[in-house]
Amino acid sequence: MSEFLETTVDKFTFKVATDCLYNAEGIWAKAEGNRVRIGLSDFLQQHSGDVAFAEVKSIGNEVAYGDEIAAIETIKVNISLTSPVTGKVVEVNPAMSNAPEAINQDPYGAGWLAVVEPIDWAADKSRLLDPQAYFTKMKREAEQEVKKG
Amino acid sequence: MTRPPHSSKVVIVPCSGIGKTYGTVSREAAYDLTEDLRPEDTQLVALSMLVLGDESARCAVADNPAITIDGCKLACASKMVKESGGRVAQEIAVLDVYRRYKQFKPQGIAELNEGGLQLAQALAEEVAVTVDTLVSENKGGRNA
Repeated sequence: MSEFLETTVDKFTFKVATDCLYNAEGIWAKAEGNRVRIGLSDFLQQHSGDVAFAEVKSIGNEVAYGDEIAAIETIKVNISLTSPVTGKVVEVNPAMSNAPEAINQDPYGAGWLAVVEPIDWAADKSRLLDPQAYFTKMKREAEQEVKKG
Repeated sequence: MTRPPHSSKVVIVPCSGIGKTYGTVSREAAYDLTEDLRPEDTQLVALSMLVLGDESARCAVADNPAITIDGCKLACASKMVKESGGRVAQEIAVLDVYRRYKQFKPQGIAELNEGGLQLAQALAEEVAVTVDTLVSENKGGRNA
């Protein structure tokens, strides 16, 4: 069970799972044995809006760190999501094709995107933010959003 | 207090989200339905009138089955009908309908693009089926 760092900015509460690492755009990566599960952070999903459609690279595709691994269409925007890890997609969340709202409902759980078998997880890890660093970055972004109105 | 007279119809309450594409789709669908598809069987009630506590609007939702069309997950239309003592016969979220009609991507706010208008039409046609069912049940109930 994940534990969370949590902050409330204006009327919005954002959680950051402490058992994940994050890239700058808010994609989380969680090591599970020799594989890495990825998904959207709570802040990224709330900021993006309700997800209408999600398309994830299919099993067998190879992705490099920073390459697009998924694309989502929300009620506000279309977003390209970049992979926080280099490797091969070995699993895709079946909910993405028929119930992508799982991203909004449970971003660190049922709303995961894919599982990747990394080539060099140690190298990828060194480029990702730890939970506290991402929490600080996310909080700053959220506060700036509120100021912008 | 005397209630204003009203006929027995299915009440349609769309989202009042101004400045949001999905809110505009919900209202466009409500107009399609109440003005073109089922004008005899439906009555449009503005969400803002419920919020303001308008007596006629509150009576309409209290005495008739309502179909709500919400533009986002806040579901203001559904919540407001329930708070006004109404019975929501069907809650519809525009996003759920869009997921079934991916080809109709809505854009625009004051004026919807072609995709938005088509999505609204598709939504209205789906709601019309529910209206027919409710009207049929109502007639059956009265004849029983």
